[in-house]
Amino acid sequence: MKNTALLLIALWLSGVCCVREVEIDLPAQPVKIVALSHFTPGQPFRVEVSLSQALTDAGDPTIPFNADVAIALEGKFLDKLFRVTGDGPRIYWESRDLVSPESEYLLSVRIGGLEPAEALSYAPAPILLDRVQIDTPNMRLIELTGGKVAMRVPLKIFVANLPLEKRYFAFNLAQEVATYPVIDDEIRLDLPPDEYTYESTKFLADGRTLALVYDTPEKVVLVNENFWSDDKNYLALDALIPFDPADQRPIHLFVEWRTLSEAFYRYHLSVARQGNNLPLNDPDALYNNVVGGYGNFSGYSVDMDTISLPYPF
Amino acid sequence: MAIRVLAICWLGLVCLGNSLTAQNLLSQPVDFACSYCLPADALVQLSRQTGINIVFSDHFFQNCPPVSILARRKSLASVLDDISACAPVSYRLQEGQVVFFRKIPKFTLSGYVKDQETGERLIGASVRVVSGKSLGAVANEFGFFSLLLDEGRYKINASYIGYKSESREISLDRDIVVTLSLQSNSALPEVVVMAPAQDERGARNPEKRQELPVSTMFGLPMPGGEADLMRLTALQAGVQTGVDGLGGLHVRGGNADQNLILLDDVPVYNPNHALGLFSVFNPSTISNARLWKGDFPARYGGRASSVLDIRTRDGHLREYQCDISAGLFAASATLEGPIVRDTSSFLVSGRATYFGPWIDFFSKRENLLTFSGDNVGYRFYDLNLKWNYIFSPKSRLYFSFYRGGDVFQNQFTQRFDIPEGLITDQYGLGSEWGNSIAALRWNYLLRPNLFTNTTLRFSRFFYQSQLTSLSTFLSASGRENLLANFGQFYQTLIQDWSGKTDFSYYANDRLTLRWGLSYTLHTFQPGALSVNFLVPGQSPLTVDSLSKVLLNNERLGADEAELYAGAEWQFWKIWRLEAGLNLSAFQIRNTGNGALQPRLRLQRFGAGGWSQWAGFHRTAQFIHQIGTFNISLPFELWVPSTAKVPSELAWQASAGLGWQRGGWRFTAEGYYKRLQRVLTFISSNSALFAGGAEDASGWEDRIAVGTGKGYGVELLVEKSAKPFTVTLTYALSKAERHFPDINSGRPFPFRFDRRHDLKIIVQQRFNSWLDANVVWAFATGNPITLAGVKYQHHTPNGDIERSIFVYTDVNGYRLPAYHRLDVAFNMRFNTGLARHGIQFGVYNAYNRANPFFLYVDSGSGTNARAIQYTLLPLLPAFRYEIKF
Repeated sequence: MKNTALLLIALWLSGVCCVREVEIDLPAQPVKIVALSHFTPGQPFRVEVSLSQALTDAGDPTIPFNADVAIALEGKFLDKLFRVTGDGPRIYWESRDLVSPESEYLLSVRIGGLEPAEALSYAPAPILLDRVQIDTPNMRLIELTGGKVAMRVPLKIFVANLPLEKRYFAFNLAQEVATYPVIDDEIRLDLPPDEYTYESTKFLADGRTLALVYDTPEKVVLVNENFWSDDKNYLALDALIPFDPADQRPIHLFVEWRTLSEAFYRYHLSVARQGNNLPLNDPDALYNNVVGGYGNFSGYSVDMDTISLPYPF
Repeated sequence: MAIRVLAICWLGLVCLGNSLTAQNLLSQPVDFACSYCLPADALVQLSRQTGINIVFSDHFFQNCPPVSILARRKSLASVLDDISACAPVSYRLQEGQVVFFRKIPKFTLSGYVKDQETGERLIGASVRVVSGKSLGAVANEFGFFSLLLDEGRYKINASYIGYKSESREISLDRDIVVTLSLQSNSALPEVVVMAPAQDERGARNPEKRQELPVSTMFGLPMPGGEADLMRLTALQAGVQTGVDGLGGLHVRGGNADQNLILLDDVPVYNPNHALGLFSVFNPSTISNARLWKGDFPARYGGRASSVLDIRTRDGHLREYQCDISAGLFAASATLEGPIVRDTSSFLVSGRATYFGPWIDFFSKRENLLTFSGDNVGYRFYDLNLKWNYIFSPKSRLYFSFYRGGDVFQNQFTQRFDIPEGLITDQYGLGSEWGNSIAALRWNYLLRPNLFTNTTLRFSRFFYQSQLTSLSTFLSASGRENLLANFGQFYQTLIQDWSGKTDFSYYANDRLTLRWGLSYTLHTFQPGALSVNFLVPGQSPLTVDSLSKVLLNNERLGADEAELYAGAEWQFWKIWRLEAGLNLSAFQIRNTGNGALQPRLRLQRFGAGGWSQWAGFHRTAQFIHQIGTFNISLPFELWVPSTAKVPSELAWQASAGLGWQRGGWRFTAEGYYKRLQRVLTFISSNSALFAGGAEDASGWEDRIAVGTGKGYGVELLVEKSAKPFTVTLTYALSKAERHFPDINSGRPFPFRFDRRHDLKIIVQQRFNSWLDANVVWAFATGNPITLAGVKYQHHTPNGDIERSIFVYTDVNGYRLPAYHRLDVAFNMRFNTGLARHGIQFGVYNAYNRANPFFLYVDSGSGTNARAIQYTLLPLLPAFRYEIKF
């Protein structure tokens, strides 16, 4: 949407504006190690390592296969991470040890010829969900194209014991939809479903909420800490679950609630304020807790709730 | 050092001792009795009895009746008062004697200075007593002056730039109200100085000190030949703008919304047309403008950085006049004249632009219009009305009205040929914004030296935009179907109703007291968005979910009140003190907020044309402009201070020195400004946008509060040797911001921080009909935020990657320096009753490509290549003006 705003400004100025292509000297930046890792208790560390690229570099990032990646706990060596080739082009380094909550970990990445990179963070104790409340009387079906419908589910996510400060949270909604056999043009709910599909759930909200939550590359939605300034301990959303009533039924809505370390929160907040490298924007400086390099090393804790969706309602 | 201290103490003790001796003599107790004796006899008797020599003339008491006095242990002064009570005399101790003098009665000479031809009041005109003591006054914003003088005959001289001075003999034996009429001297070359005229009286008067040379505005080279007050203001030292005026005025490191811009005493919320390329102030209507760069008097409140006080002309009181002007971008017409000769007059002025051909030309040249049927239209307009009525020399009523706006439209069509038929998408965008302003002002002279002005004010600024799109499908068989219909309407406004009363009490030629109060009822609508999205056969999803909430966007009412008092006092001949206090209060949603704002300025006038000054000023601001780009664009919102959004506070200390002699003038002023609380809006990528504006929902939680500072030195050097004048203004300055939530909490340069800012203005009058003006401006490039490197961020399952741009420092990169040269030639000639003026010129004469912003294409694959956007290339300037 911001692109539209910029287009409008450009059009306003079009009467007197001239566009010229000139060469400028960009600030010289040496190549540095990029380390990205978000970790949570009970899971191993997974660290993506790459090298920074010039801003105008159109190629793929360089993956340093010879990177030496290690984790220390409370100042003592804990584990040397091994390289894993994951899905698609993704390559990361994984630990054998699992993450413990509220322990301070030090990540160090060393690559010959480059400045070593180090970062310190922890996974905070989770601030748990109190409850997720569905407003069943106001649930509705909305017609979509192709005979599909969307189940609109008004819900409130209540947080237990909201702290007075450092209200760093993110959430994710996901849905499970079952596809049933259809025999003689009739959906057979009495039979076991053919398959279950699991997808992220889109949602709507009031303007204030929409302005204070941000999509992140981590597939979670970051909640600005100022959101809680109204002294409410809940987040009100309208989940939209599309399905085909001819052979599908929404089964579950999963609510993932993350309690974030400050490094996680600040990093993704600054990413959300980047403005997509568009002119006239006022981007914020990128939060960086990797000393000697770029990226982010930060922990989080997760609480989950599963809601069974009634149908019909 | 110790000796110096002792010497100072000794001197102090000696002075104190002498004073005490004199006081002791008059306060010593005496016994005195006198029954039914003449005052002269009583004084002789008292002198004998006390041994104190009492000097007087018998004439002083010749009309006095006998007095009876019985005093026991009363002070000598008390007895003297009793004896001399019947006569207009006073006494003082002189060399151990009591000396009686005749008391000279004082009377007030007050009145107005006006243009002899038009009856227009001359704001800032000087009135001086040229016989006897050198006393003087400067006419206030209504052309009023007041002097307290001893009874006697005086020669009074009134003067004003561009007018023949006038002298008049006045016999002052009572309070007198006069009107001094000055004759315009059109043959006299205009004194083209770029800073206020500074005769001795003027230099000592704060009103005069801040005056902008409005008359020079018409001769200066400006884009398209369109004279512009804001561009004139930007030529002053310490005043910054964005590139080519876009981005508003920034005074000494302050935000654009921290300038109080007044038109006939009414705040103007959007002073710009065309995003800042022109101002809303029609030059034909401006009478006077004053700029305070921080040291503003106590009567101005509500903004943290500066005051630009603009007054419009009243209209000709004796005959009808018409003024028509046409430039390359806009044309204006002004009609003025008497309704009742010498009693009431009117002024009507309209201005409109004709940008269409220019937009068409440049858009095609730059290939900006890429779609079929593309159509971009933009225009602005201004309408000024003024009416006044003189009830008596003591009472006058003014009514001012202004309405101006900008209109932007863009329509285009996209067609997609598919095998099944043709899809047509038609888009339309319309935006409109503008100010409406009205003021009803009543001047009344309560006493010859007590001037009052009461004003009722209205000010409104709105922005609205409408975006529509219509998608249709034309099948091969010729049947047309509606695919989708989208509509979006956005509106934001601020509106004020207010009243104020100001009092000016001219106690004597050395002391003026001012006080007053005001109340404003603000209404804010930070943004209301309505969205309508219809697809045939489907539910209106967006209406159902989003617009219902956003349409009910809150309308906020707020109360703002101000009380102020101030004094301007000249003492010990060479000192002048301007002191005042402004107390303001703001209330919204039952939450109150207040600020006490002291204002202080002390100036010393030395020998040889030198003067020095120092000041301290504190300011507060309760309303703020916020927006996505934070550069004062019209769709940025005005919002109030609330429980969550604090008021902005600032203080500024400044000191300077000046020298003026023989056509030379030099001033240097250093300042340090501290923005104790400053606000900025944090844009959100996920917020809704409408017509260029970011939806304001949740704005209170998206404002960052920080601090700022600005400091620097401003220089002015001017040499005026008629008919040649050269003026140089230079500012060496630094401005910073510091927000805990921005730039990882590190301080960063203010977006309009410019280390060096130099302007050189040369004005040459060749003869009575031709002059030339040349302006060269240079400034350090604005700071911007650029990313140096990037990296990729995968999602946890590795299927999506996002480029993360590493912005290491906010505003850490500087655009190339800004500079340009403007040249204009002005010709004047008369034919019959008509006066003509023609300006030829060129703006940005050497076609400097000053960067407005840079865009780095992150995927270009080339080395360090950026696209630079430039606003104004070389532009011709032409204006023709006829007055009859």
